[in-house]
Amino acid sequence: MNWFHFSWQNFWFSFLALAFEGLPFVLVGSLISGLIAAFVPSRMITRFLPKNPLLATLVSGLLGLIFPVCECGVVPVVRRLLDKGLPLYCGMTYMLASPIVNPLVAISTYAAFRAQQPGLNTVVRLISGYLVAVVVGLVVSRLNPARLIGGQAVATRTGRRRTTLSIAAMPDAPDASRGVSVGQRLIGAVQLASDDFIDTAIYFMIGAAVASVFNTAVDQQIILPLASSPILSVVAMMVIAGILTLCSSSDAFIAATFTSFPIPARMAFLIFGPMFNFKLPFLYSSLLKKRAVVALGVGLFIIVGVLCVAFLPAVYANLGR
Amino acid sequence: MRTWAAKFFNGITLLGLGGVLIAFFINGRIDQYLHPQFRLWELAGGIGFCVAGAIYLVTKRSMDCCVDGQCIHSNPRSPVRAVMALGVIAVPLIAGTVFSKDSYDQQAILNRGFVQDVSGLPVRNVAKDAPPAKDPNQPAIPSAALGGDNDENSIEPALPQDGSGNTASQNGAGQDSKDDGSEQYLPRAEDGNVALEVSDLLYSQTEESLRKMFSGKTIEVIGQYMPGADKSEFRIVRMFIVCCAADARPISVPVKMQGPVSIADMSWVKVIGQPEFVANGDRTKVVIKAAQVQPTDPPAEAMLY
Repeated sequence: MNWFHFSWQNFWFSFLALAFEGLPFVLVGSLISGLIAAFVPSRMITRFLPKNPLLATLVSGLLGLIFPVCECGVVPVVRRLLDKGLPLYCGMTYMLASPIVNPLVAISTYAAFRAQQPGLNTVVRLISGYLVAVVVGLVVSRLNPARLIGGQAVATRTGRRRTTLSIAAMPDAPDASRGVSVGQRLIGAVQLASDDFIDTAIYFMIGAAVASVFNTAVDQQIILPLASSPILSVVAMMVIAGILTLCSSSDAFIAATFTSFPIPARMAFLIFGPMFNFKLPFLYSSLLKKRAVVALGVGLFIIVGVLCVAFLPAVYANLGR
Repeated sequence: MRTWAAKFFNGITLLGLGGVLIAFFINGRIDQYLHPQFRLWELAGGIGFCVAGAIYLVTKRSMDCCVDGQCIHSNPRSPVRAVMALGVIAVPLIAGTVFSKDSYDQQAILNRGFVQDVSGLPVRNVAKDAPPAKDPNQPAIPSAALGGDNDENSIEPALPQDGSGNTASQNGAGQDSKDDGSEQYLPRAEDGNVALEVSDLLYSQTEESLRKMFSGKTIEVIGQYMPGADKSEFRIVRMFIVCCAADARPISVPVKMQGPVSIADMSWVKVIGQPEFVANGDRTKVVIKAAQVQPTDPPAEAMLY
């Protein structure tokens, strides 16, 4: 295989870099999850969401603006929010949108494209990421959550599967943390965060290892000739985004250097990567059934591909300089 | 007993992770892996893992797991799962500390390909009123000249004033450099040569003012040796990171020697010579005409950012 050259030296270097960069963020996500578990009453989250699934999905896609969590840290947060009664479609929308629709990513995208229509590219990235997450959320809202959620990802309560519940049907269980002191709750939050972290980090490390193999061993030059094709360039950039497994706060700096690729293809890189790069299917496996993860990946590939092949060129033709 | 064993292994996993992260920060190896902005995060993470691990090991459960429902976790009561977590999370990380050489080999560079348009890379930060650079990751030239202040919203700090009261940015990109106060920004090596980075030379391909600053100067550049088509040509390579080593992209400048050189692939070299700018269609390419190529120690920070 001329396109695959594995080396342990490269693998270890990339693997440790991904681990050192990502694990602290998984810990932060887990701590947020632990604090939500210990301090947020069960029905508080759902109380603030619109009852209408469409409106709830639209609002969930914007939560990253006030509650930004990167793609490494968002999974434990979503697991906990689901356990607190957030509907799966809202959780999925937030999980996919938050790594893109957040202030840090907006700033870094603007900075990375500072010589290449930065305002337009930033707006296109954030709106496109939001729309893709909302579309996925709306599709999920039509499905039975029990068929999507993994076995232990969300607790059962009062004898009914939480996964099958809508907001209106939330059980009104008593909050077991009532009567516990703040200090005990904090310690409890750390204990729960540790359990959350270990559950999630297993998948993160497997994902980081797989990503490191592809990141270092695959000859990325073979993809470059595809840059001249409007369709293949989009596909190629989504594949590269999967392989490189970049953090969404810095991926724009890499995308900006692929100047031989048209801008819609680079947008595909910036939208698909934070939603489904090679470590994320493993992280998502801590929340969703394997079939659901595969379906999510295929769905995202198609949605982002269609968006970037069929719609974004027209957007840039009309709004670009 | 099962709960105790699971608690023990989970606590060890967290403490092991924390120990590795803190050790990498203290011994400086983290400098090869992460952009400086992420290094304190890594240390904070290490401390956080140790604190969480200690709390996990020594405290009793203060609340029911998952508070108001059945537990969503797989590990707290299963020793097998906890041992698996130790094996998947902590053991590979510890193995990596032993086996990693803290760098990529030539194959990774070939697989990634050289950055073609360096203007897409983020401009390296420069300290306010920066003196001539000594730190290998401090830019040789003002960020304005590298394009960093080309837009009004740039967050780069103000440049030092020159004698006429103009900022250096007024002599920046795309304009002829009349003032030769720009010389003050050129860092000097101990032997008086202009000490540049590979990235500085690449930026000069698109910035005429930089080409004027560098032309005719004897420069020295440190990087890794990558053989070229014949023995008198090679490339001097550095890796440029945005976030961590996993996103590192190779950048390079070609070097021509009068005669053949014999240096091990990917070893660190110091090239002393003059930059030559060659028109190539509507672009300009830089080549170093080397007078000397010497083996040298790796810089304190092998990555540029």
